This record gives sequence, C-alpha cells and structure tokens, in this order.
Amino acid sequence: MNDRRRVNGPPGGTRPPVFQSGLQSSNPSDRPRRQRQPAELRKIFLKTGLIPSASGSAYLEFEPSASLAANRSNPKSMIPPSSALKLTCTVHGPKPLPRSAAYSPNLVLTTHVKYAPFAARRRKGHVRDSSERDLGVHLETALRGAIIAERWPKSGLDITITILEAEDDRWWGEPPDSHDASWGIMNVLAGCITAASAAIADARIDCLDLVAGGVAAITEDVGASHSGSGRLMLDTDPAEHASILSACVVAYMPARDEITELWLKGDSSKAVLDDGDSRQGHDALIDGAVDAARGSYSVLSEAVKESILNAVAHA
Amino acid sequence: MPLETSTTYPLTKLRLDGRRWNEMRVFQAQISTNPASSGSSYLAMGNTSIMCSVHGPAEGRRGEASGSAGSGGAVVDVDVNVAGFAGIDRKRRAGGSDRQSTNISTILRSAFQSHLHTYLYPHSTISIHVSVLSSDGSLLAAAINACTLALVDAGIPMPGLLCGCTAGMTGSASTPKDPREDELDPLMDLSLPEEQELPYLTIGTTTMVPVGQNNMDEDEEDGETKVAVLNMDSKVHYTYLDSLVPVAIDGCREIRELMEGVIRGSQRM
Amino acid sequence: MSNPRQASSASQTPHLSPAELSYLYTSLSLPKGPIRPDGRSPTQFRPLTAETDILPGTNGSARIGFADGTQAIVGVKAEVEKTVLASDILQQDVENDLQAPSDRRDGAESTPSAAAGGHGSWVQMSIEIPGFRDDDALPVFLSEMMRESLVGSVTDAGKGRDTEMAGGLKGRLVINKRWHWRLYIDVLLLSQPLSYPLPLLSLTTHLALLSTKLPKLKSQGEEDPFFDDDWGVAEHLYPRPSPSASATSSQIRPPVTLLVISVGDNVIFDPNREEISVADAVLAISITRNSEGQGLKLLSIRTIDPPSRLTQPGVPNSENLSTMAATGNSDNAAAANPSAGQEEVPGVWRPRRGGIKRSVITELTRTVLKKGGVGEEVLEGLEGVEV
Repeated sequence: MNDRRRVNGPPGGTRPPVFQSGLQSSNPSDRPRRQRQPAELRKIFLKTGLIPSASGSAYLEFEPSASLAANRSNPKSMIPPSSALKLTCTVHGPKPLPRSAAYSPNLVLTTHVKYAPFAARRRKGHVRDSSERDLGVHLETALRGAIIAERWPKSGLDITITILEAEDDRWWGEPPDSHDASWGIMNVLAGCITAASAAIADARIDCLDLVAGGVAAITEDVGASHSGSGRLMLDTDPAEHASILSACVVAYMPARDEITELWLKGDSSKAVLDDGDSRQGHDALIDGAVDAARGSYSVLSEAVKESILNAVAHA
Repeated sequence: MPLETSTTYPLTKLRLDGRRWNEMRVFQAQISTNPASSGSSYLAMGNTSIMCSVHGPAEGRRGEASGSAGSGGAVVDVDVNVAGFAGIDRKRRAGGSDRQSTNISTILRSAFQSHLHTYLYPHSTISIHVSVLSSDGSLLAAAINACTLALVDAGIPMPGLLCGCTAGMTGSASTPKDPREDELDPLMDLSLPEEQELPYLTIGTTTMVPVGQNNMDEDEEDGETKVAVLNMDSKVHYTYLDSLVPVAIDGCREIRELMEGVIRGSQRM
Repeated sequence: MSNPRQASSASQTPHLSPAELSYLYTSLSLPKGPIRPDGRSPTQFRPLTAETDILPGTNGSARIGFADGTQAIVGVKAEVEKTVLASDILQQDVENDLQAPSDRRDGAESTPSAAAGGHGSWVQMSIEIPGFRDDDALPVFLSEMMRESLVGSVTDAGKGRDTEMAGGLKGRLVINKRWHWRLYIDVLLLSQPLSYPLPLLSLTTHLALLSTKLPKLKSQGEEDPFFDDDWGVAEHLYPRPSPSASATSSQIRPPVTLLVISVGDNVIFDPNREEISVADAVLAISITRNSEGQGLKLLSIRTIDPPSRLTQPGVPNSENLSTMAATGNSDNAAAANPSAGQEEVPGVWRPRRGGIKRSVITELTRTVLKKGGVGEEVLEGLEGVEV
C-alpha cells in the first residue's frame, strides 16, 4: 500500500554509509559474540509514567550487548555491531466507546505496534505493514488474558507502542539476504509485552497479574563441527548468533503460573539438552522462555512498585 | 506477430479459438453450490468462471436499509471480488477493490435493484457476493448470469430471468458502415483477447414469464423481451450498433434457454 | 477505532447465551471424554469434500468445502523474477577473488547467500475473507501464520533422497543465481467464516501446493531461464516420488496447521464455532513429516485469543435480584470477594480469564505429535487424497 499522505524517503532503505575501512572490518571474525551465560539475560531499563498526557505509559530499553559496549570504547567501525531494543508504550483509556459502536459488555482492547521509520537498519514506512499488524495481534492476545475486561463495559482501551530502536534480525555484516527468518521481531514482542503490562498497571487498569515477556532460542554455533548441536539460550540477541534454529516468545503471568501468549517457530528438534533431560526440544524451549519471562518480571514488578510509590507520594 | 482477430477473421471466417461468429463458448452452470448461503451458483462461460452467493433477504445493517431508503423495498448490495489468480498475470489490488470490480458491482447493483421485486421485502437487504475465479472475457455478462441463477436459487421473486451476453465487431468499426461492401462481421460472446482488441458491448435482457391470460399463447415470445442492461466502454461508429445489438440479444436468448435448463435440471422451477 | 473486526482476532464474538455456553462447557469438559454437539469424537475432523486442479489459469488450485457450506478456494500462481543481489555480496565476492585469504573464504561459504538458499519473501500469501479488508487483523494474522510454517519447513539435505527439495520450499524456488520463482498463494474464503477458518484454509493451501506445477526448465546453468511450452511435462512444485524409488522415500509435503482447543482437561480438535467459543485455550500448531519419514516435526505454535474471553457472564441465582434469593448473602459475598465473581458457581458461565497452564500446552502438543496421534492421522488422510 502506498503512503500518499507524506513525502516519503527513498524506498531502498537508508543504511549508514559503508566506508572502505568498514568493509574490511566486516570480517566474520568481527561478529559480536555472546558474552553472557546461556541463561543470563540482558539488563532491562523500565520506567513508567513518562508521558503525562496518557493515562499510563512506559519506556523500556534493553541493555546493549556487551560487545556493543566494547565496541563503543574501542571503535573499529562506525556501524554499531548490534542494536538494542528501545520502545515506548502509551495507554489511553478506559474511555467511552463512540456512540456508533456496538454494545460491548467488556473493555474493548485495541493494540497498535508501530516501528519508527528509523527503528531498523532498513527504513520502515509510515503505514503499518503486515509484520507490525501481526505483532499487534500477538500483543493483544497476550494482554487480553490478563486484563479483567468485564469491569469496564462499553469502554475502550488503546495501547500504542512505538519502537524507537528494533532488534536486528541478523548481524549487519552478513549479506542482507543470507537468511530472512525474522528473529528480532520475537525480542521486540517480548519487550512490547513487558512494557505494555507496566503501562497498563500505570494506568491503574485491573489485571489478574503482571504479564512479562521472555524469549528463548535454540542456536547453532558457527564453528560447530557437526550439525545437530543446538543449544538453548535465553534472551538471544540475533546479531550474536550465526544461526538460530528456532525461537519462542511467551507472555507469562508468574503469580498464576499461566501463559497468555505463546509463539514458537522454527525447528526445535535439534536441541541438545543436558544429560538426563528427557524433554522434547520445543518443551525445553518454552520452559526457557518462561524462565526468561520470570527474569523480566522482576524488573517489571520493581517498575510498577516505583510507579505506585510515586503516585502515593504525589497524592 | 501475434494472431489477431481483425487480421485472421477475414481470411478464415473463424475466430482465434476456432468459433464461428455466432457461436458461444461452452456454457456450464450449477446452482445450490454452497449450502451456507440462501442461494448460490457456479457459472463458467468458456474459461471465465464465477461463483456467486446470495444472502438474504435479511435485516440490513443499521442505518442503511432500516431508514427511509429501505422503506420502499429491499436494498440490493453487490460485492464483486476478482481473485488475484483470475487473470493471466497475478494482480494485487491495493486496498480492497480496483476499478473493474467496482464498475461491475455498480452495474449489477442498479440492474438487480430495479429488476427484482424488492417491494416485497421492505427494510431488508439482499446481498450478493460475486467471486471471479478466472476471467477470460465477458465478465459482466457472466456475472449477470451467475447472479440471476443464485437469486433464483435463493427464491427471490423476479419477473423473469435476467441474462447477459456480449457482442463485438471483427474490426475497429470506426468508419461508417458501407452497406454495399461490408467485410466486418459481428461476434457473439467475446473472449479476453477479443475484448482487448475489438469494440464490444454487453447487453442484459429479460423476458417476462407469461402470466394470466397470455399464459397460453407462447408463439410470440420476443415481443416481451426487454433490455435491462446495456454497457459499452469502447468506441464504435453508430451505424454498427444495428448489427451489434441483435447479436447480443440473440446470445441472451440462447443463454436464457441454457439457464432454464440448468434450473429445471435442479428442480427449482 | 473500536471496530469489532479489528479488535478480535479469534473470529467473531459468539452469539450464545451464558446458559448455552455453560451447558456446552460442561458437556465438553466431562472427565470421561467430551460430548460434542455434533457427536464427533474429540480427535475427529468434520467431513469435507476436496478437489484439486479446478482452475486452468493457475499453476495449482484446490477447493475444500465443509458440510456446513464454508468453502475455500486456493489458487497458486508462479512468476519468474530477477533475484536482486545485494551489492555487498558482489563486493565481498570481488574482494575474495582479489585477496583470497583462506579465512575469508571460509566465512563467505558459511553464510549461504539468497541465491543459493532462497528467500522467504518469495512466497506471498494473501487471504480474502468476505466482510474483512485485506489488512484487517484476522487475514493478516492467518496469512502470517501459514506462511511462517510454509517457509520455515526446511528438510535436511542428503539422507539418500533427491536433493531437489533440500532447501525446503524456498530452495525449490531458486532457478539459478540470478532468477527465481515468486509464488503467490491467494486464499479465497467464499462465505463468512462460520468457525475459525484456519483448518479449512490450511488444508486447502496444502492441497493446492501439492497440485502446483512449474513449467520444465529448458535453459541451463546461469542462462536467462526459458521453459518448455509443453504443460504436460511440467514438474510438480513438490516433486512426486519416482516410481522407481524405494517405497520408503515418502513424498515431501507442505506443512499443515491444526487448530486445537482445550476445554477443562479435554483436548479437542477441529472445533466448530460453538466449541471454540467456550475454549479455555486455542492453539494453532503447524506440523510436517520428519525428513526421515518417521514421526512428525513441529514447525510453529501460536496462541489464538479464545473468544470465550469476550463472552458475557451468567448471573448465579444467589446474586440474581429478580429471583429474590438471599440478597443479603450476595452483598456480603461481593464485599468479601472484590474481584467480582472469582468463585465458580457450577452451571453458571464465567468468561475465561488468564492464560494457559504450562502443562496444558505440553498435553496439547503431545496429543498432536505423538506416534499414531492426531497429526499423523491428518497427514495420512491428506496423503490419501488423489491429487
């Protein structure tokens, strides 16, 4: 669909300029490497209530991978080796539905996920594309399970997420077409879920529990001598792995031990688990994602606590 | 050089697909194809194939049929969808519908709105959904026929079957017709390559089913034929209309007989 | 903004009363096995009629109709397209040729380029549902879901089979380094969906892809491609096993996506509209045969928002003012339990809240994947269809 309302930038994308020196450094050995333990998560910065005009809001940022930090202190290339997720979430409502709308006994949830045009290395248009709409549906499923919707009949709740910096789908130094599975989108979804849950809590909407998003993936190392050596990693940064076999996002409510949203894709059968672990690949993957979600829950609950303390202090 | 009707026809008196000027393509139709709708039909004229389903008469959407507009009778709502795989090249329309399908649905709506006995169903909507599965010319005519069959299947009263057919000329026909030396022939039921090359028109006719006193005298049927749809997008010198219109009307009569056979065959009439 | 079509991903809100919902839920969650409204067993699918190769203008097509009248038609069209090589690859290649250090070579080879492996965006899918716009949530979600498993199913190379399908569907679309096929899969739902249309669409797409043929290539190597005019010698997109090959090498087939719901402790397949409206959890699970021909491989799982969350609750007798029951009690109860009706009154419908227990997900996937389970049954059923 063409966007006719604006003067658009070049469709071919606006990647940063690549200089000769930069080209030379796009050596496969320069690929950022994961420096965390398999079960170690990136740090999350989460703060609520930054947008006063909205009834609830949150800002979320993933800590840049260690390799990015190292690169900043000792720059070899002008192009950052990986990107880190940054997104804002605003919640408007509950507000009355327009008069023309049909009666609804429940709170009508609307989710919008939009990448900022500059969010990814390739420019995104202003009109939502299918992957953004898809993300919106996933997010809606995740949140609807948590919100106690019947407390607000005839009302609507708009949740808008703007992604300021998106996770890469692959390392930028690889040829752009080398593999096209969009793994970064799964990290983005996990971030969206966590941030939206914080923003909803900030808007004082009744929920069963906070929902935290978590990602796990089965990765294969470049140097692996034999195939079939998939390793389970939590909170993967796609730029750090040459090959991701499968990945899974969950939206998890720790207090109820329930999953409201599950999205798993890829071949999880090659996972090599510890000895004595008889789980199937996909089960291990889902469990891993739940563990990752538990990790982000600890940040989420702190952020929500802070938001409440602030509100009490100002009251 | 591609074969063209305007160059080959004068030599062989045969069209590109081997038909004569007054020959129709293979006509196939079926009604009650979809049990989920009130009435449905499948119709194929040559390689043009169409599925049509009718819902209603049913309570219309708020504000549309219930208002003053609907008090006189049912509102006919037509939705035409040309599948992406219908043509030779795959087409993707941006945001819903293109000009061709909007055009066809407007013509169908106005044709059936006035044709059906809508006054019997005030405050209701009859919605017709046409899906074009494969398009190879005479799309509007085929859509008219498919809709008529589906409406018959739905049991919606109408004065007679509304049948459509196309007719064209074998040349551009842009100069006045020369009565002494006329090498252009009219063609019946055009296919897509002919449509793209030649001027053509689409006619839909209806024949009142004789009722009452006239029931017995079946000898003069043609006197009752009425033109309900006439659509022409191309340019032709007016002197040629004389030969185009009767051919199209003849085609409609042939199609009416075929369609009556289809309806009798399924024992709905 | 509050467009209900956009708001609910899992089909429309069901038009059932709380009492009906409660009755349905009770009968579907019976511990000794569910009693379904149409008398099917929990793993039984609805009867359907299928035909393939119905549209001469397409590379492959199929139609499936359920007995209730919902029909889907899928047409597959293939077009030849020039592969756009990113300048970086060319640049790297040049560099490699100039310097040719051994380590650089390794790196270049370990990252297969699009020209070899195919690209997921070469498969385009669009779903047309009457009453929905192309970019509404439901069609977008469905098409992403089906495309993801189609593109994602990559079989292992080797293992003594012809390597034509080695790269999966993506790899099959590669003609040579500069040209490839682009596959358009158009799904047409002919009537308003009476139930969540996923199983119907997935099965129809499966059959359409199986019947899809590509013209036989006459050019060789890196030439600009040209094809045999004879449609009779066209090759199947999913190659048929040659009769000479051993019986063990089963044909590679596109994946299928199954819709599974859980109600109480029961697992139910192919739910109809009423059943899905009381589901505790709805999962779409994509499977395909393992490359060894043994067992099944899981390709993707997605949760689908169960419509039961949007239903209206029933009112228990104790809270119903019109029945003049002990109203004082209910006041107390409401005060004691501010989370409005957390307590379950048997026989009174409560919209589902919260998510799925981890164990339920394991159970659902296990039922699909286990040997002799539903997944195998469905695939065997499909293999029985003459294409």
